[in-house]
Amino acid sequence: MENASVLYEVRGVGKRYGGVVALDNVDFTLRAGEVVGLVGDNGAGKSTLVKVLSGAHEPDSGEIYLDGQRRVWKSPHDALEAGVETLYQDSGIAPDLTVAANVFLGREIVRKGFLGKLGFLDEKAMRRDAHAELERVGIAVPASDRPVARLSGGQRQAVAIGRAVAWANKVIILDEPTNHLGARQAGEVLEIIRHARTKGFGVIFISHTLPHVLEVTDRIVVLRLGRVVADAPSSSFTPDSLLKAITGLGQS
Amino acid sequence: MDMQGKLARLKATGLRQDVVLLLLFCVMVLAFSLANPRFFSIRAMANILQDFSPVVLMAIGQTFVIASRGIDLSVGSVLGLAGVSMALVIRAANEAGLDPWLAISLGLAVAVGVGVVAGLINGILITYCRLVPFVATLATMGAAAGMSLVLTGGTQIAGAPKEVILLGNATYLGALTVPVIAVFVIIVVSWAFLSRARFGRWTYAIGSNPFAARGAGIDVERHLIKLYLLSGVLAALAGAFVYFRLGSGSPLSGRGGELNAIAATVIGGVSLLGGTGKLTGVVIGALITTAVLSGLILIGVQPNWQQIVVAALIALAVGIQGLGARGGR
Repeated sequence: MENASVLYEVRGVGKRYGGVVALDNVDFTLRAGEVVGLVGDNGAGKSTLVKVLSGAHEPDSGEIYLDGQRRVWKSPHDALEAGVETLYQDSGIAPDLTVAANVFLGREIVRKGFLGKLGFLDEKAMRRDAHAELERVGIAVPASDRPVARLSGGQRQAVAIGRAVAWANKVIILDEPTNHLGARQAGEVLEIIRHARTKGFGVIFISHTLPHVLEVTDRIVVLRLGRVVADAPSSSFTPDSLLKAITGLGQS
Repeated sequence: MDMQGKLARLKATGLRQDVVLLLLFCVMVLAFSLANPRFFSIRAMANILQDFSPVVLMAIGQTFVIASRGIDLSVGSVLGLAGVSMALVIRAANEAGLDPWLAISLGLAVAVGVGVVAGLINGILITYCRLVPFVATLATMGAAAGMSLVLTGGTQIAGAPKEVILLGNATYLGALTVPVIAVFVIIVVSWAFLSRARFGRWTYAIGSNPFAARGAGIDVERHLIKLYLLSGVLAALAGAFVYFRLGSGSPLSGRGGELNAIAATVIGGVSLLGGTGKLTGVVIGALITTAVLSGLILIGVQPNWQQIVVAALIALAVGIQGLGARGGR
């Protein structure tokens, strides 16, 4: 892992909201084929860092590099185009749309010719390809023309993650992907993440559920009060030491 | 196998809703015809279609907007403002001796312009000024209604060349006027864009989960502005068609129009929670709303009761939707 090249990186990122410092001189790196856990207490700056990484917020200071190139994200769209996919906490999916419509949301396949120019959809192609894409990333596919609202919570989340993994070509950011899931479903989500790593993606895994983080990540970055207080291989943490790093208790 | 069965049932539910609505409409026509045989005549049908036109135009705009989890309360006032603006322009052009068809084109352009401006104001208030749709369009509703009174001094604006009446009332194939034919074309095109194109897909996505839509790279603000623009333009066209029919513009026309439009939309099965709704249902919903309004008059109910009946229809339709949702989950 040491010699794998750095895929995604932020250096010296700072962000403040009014008088509140959300991020203070934060460095963060991600290599290809690496799963990095991002943990911290509420208000530690996790969500802000996710927003900077996904292009939703521009940092006040600091720089973003993708594949060694300096990047500036003006919107999430810029980051998506460059291959950085984000699954936001609890917001990844439109329940009224079908599985296929969700997988292709924002990237719809249109018909050929004039109708396509007007934005008329090729539903058949999307149904077929949604099925294939989800299968490719290791997801047991529910019928792709079913509204997502009819799926179980776990299936919904699988579709949301599958969508992110299917479209990413470099980086996948997963914000609390195992939230509200039962043990078995969470296990399936972790399996999808492992699968994505073997394909050479860089995965950023944000979670409050420390056992999941310890189980699936290669390295863990701990944020506290807007600063990086630990950045070390996951194997060097125990559940106890990780919790201490997050809360800052039991340290000098 | 089980999945396929469920799928078939799901499709059947969608279809069944339209069938039930259509049956309801037929029963109503039958009931009104029994009460007053005049209801069931080509003449009465032609009238209903003419009443139906503004209702369905506003309801189409409303459907797009509500599907995106919004609402447009300004449609009735925009209808009125577009109508009087058009009437004033055409009267002035007519008095200046302009060719009547040129005057009509000019008036139509001004009406559409009114719709564009009203829609843009709604859209910008909702997206960039972050007002909730209810408040933003309520403000526009008041402003547009007031503007109509200012422009006209509260009086009706006549002075239309006879070509206007001809355009609005000459019938083809028994019951179809030019505006009614235009309305049918607009229905089909809107249906196609809502149910078969990216424009509709994004509309539902925003209404279903705006965060997911934004996360998928959709420019939500831009799309919302387009939706309110569409609603404004359709309401303005409704105003133009009412003017063609009457040959005059009244600042009071369109009053309560938002009520009719919302009634047609919710009767048609569109959920006020956003993310769903089919235009086929809304068209039938507009037919039902119009038939109720015309039927009440034909069976001798005072027109003053209309708004109360429409309001009751809205409450009833939303109530039934709520029951259905609870049963389905």
